[in-house]
Amino acid sequence: MKRLMSMVVLLALSVTAYPQEQGHLNVRTVVQKEQVKVNEKGEAESELVAADTVVPGERVVYTITFQNISEEPAENVVITNPISGDLMYVDGSAFGPGSDIQFSVDGGLTFAKATELTVTEDGTTRSAGAGDFTHIRWVMQQELAAGAQGVARFSAVLE
Amino acid sequence: MNTANHRFVSASRWAHRLSCAGALLAISATAGAAGTPVGTIIQNTATVDFDLAGTPITLQSNTTTITVVERIDVVVTLQSPQVLVAPNESDRALLFTVTNTGNGSETFSLAIDSILAGDDFNPTPSATPIYFDTDGSGDLNVGDQPYTLGVNDPVLAADATVDILIVNDIPGTVVNGNIGFSQLTASSLTGTGTPGTEFAGLGDGGVDAVIGTTGGEASGIGEYLVSDVAVSVVKSQVVTDPNGGTQPIPGATITYTVTVEVTSAGTTTASVLRDPIPVYTTYVANSMTLNAVAISDAIDADAGELDTSGPATVVMRLGDLSQADGVQTVVFDVRID
Repeated sequence: MKRLMSMVVLLALSVTAYPQEQGHLNVRTVVQKEQVKVNEKGEAESELVAADTVVPGERVVYTITFQNISEEPAENVVITNPISGDLMYVDGSAFGPGSDIQFSVDGGLTFAKATELTVTEDGTTRSAGAGDFTHIRWVMQQELAAGAQGVARFSAVLE
Repeated sequence: MNTANHRFVSASRWAHRLSCAGALLAISATAGAAGTPVGTIIQNTATVDFDLAGTPITLQSNTTTITVVERIDVVVTLQSPQVLVAPNESDRALLFTVTNTGNGSETFSLAIDSILAGDDFNPTPSATPIYFDTDGSGDLNVGDQPYTLGVNDPVLAADATVDILIVNDIPGTVVNGNIGFSQLTASSLTGTGTPGTEFAGLGDGGVDAVIGTTGGEASGIGEYLVSDVAVSVVKSQVVTDPNGGTQPIPGATITYTVTVEVTSAGTTTASVLRDPIPVYTTYVANSMTLNAVAISDAIDADAGELDTSGPATVVMRLGDLSQADGVQTVVFDVRID
């Protein structure tokens, strides 16, 4: 029994054995919000500023950048990001060059293209909408060469 | 998009919401239209899976944190229909609902304004012009708590509402058909201004507060209509005796004609004429007409009947009447006993 316990601890450790600083892939995420300003010409311009604080109705932009800092190409790169329950994904906002973008409506258990997902409520099945998505996943279609960078981005509105 | 269904889905998500205190949990339970409660913390961590030289590796990104601060918004909704008034009436109330549509607790000051453009007269705010509709009746009653600026300004949680009465006297100079406006304004005590204006540290729990789309201030306008309706009712009679004369003798028939007419602006609603049969006479069966159309004596779907539940009475329902309806003529016969 004691041996079993220590095995469990070991397994748990192995999951977190690679913090982001470790020398394989450097992955960073930032959250920003749009601030609309009126320029000298009287036109509305929006710029992205740090989103430390937000109010309901505000739109935030999550940007995930990743760089292969190892000597080897990284293969089968998949970025997965949850969408908090207080946030509503902005339809069509997910962006990721070279990635196939997929969504989950079941807490990240299964993923598919947005148009292929359905939700069953009270016995009736309907197409999934932006408010149903719990996770977004970017599946890179090609390997990430040593030294290469990638980006994944999406927007959401605070409910 | 904040539907109940969506909320249900949300609850089962990997919601990275941290509630700092038990009190926050209580607030979030009531969160609805007003949005995510003040103080909610939303964390985000991305995960990267990849293979390196055939070895699967999972990495986590840094964790970003955003804090939900207070958005100040308020809506004032008129609940009263047009209130019908007469000259010199006092303490006539208009009912409004004030709703905190922000996402935090907020205190609001209330103000009345009865000098508004676009109407025919200015109602006069009563000595105590604003009340809480404490008894929930929708009208001013003993027991409704008076409002005093700075003393009992309503404190509303996110999504909470309070019913407010504003009370005016009607001047003696008004005439039928005149309309008078009166306005209730609710203003956030934290601040008002153009949307996006920030008040650092003045939100719930010391977070920042930001003015929302309503500007932190809202008004509703109610309407008084002077409707002191004048109605003319004229009754005349013609006697026909059995001998072909006009003598009111036993056996003679009296034909009564009652005319009803609205002679001023305004409308009488659900008007009913009740005319008791005189003593020593008996109603002549099936003799009543309304505007020359026969009306049965029975209590049925038509406009009238002979009510015999007490002293026999001709009853005629004339409905809503205004000047435009002209003269309504009711005719019936009685026989002298």
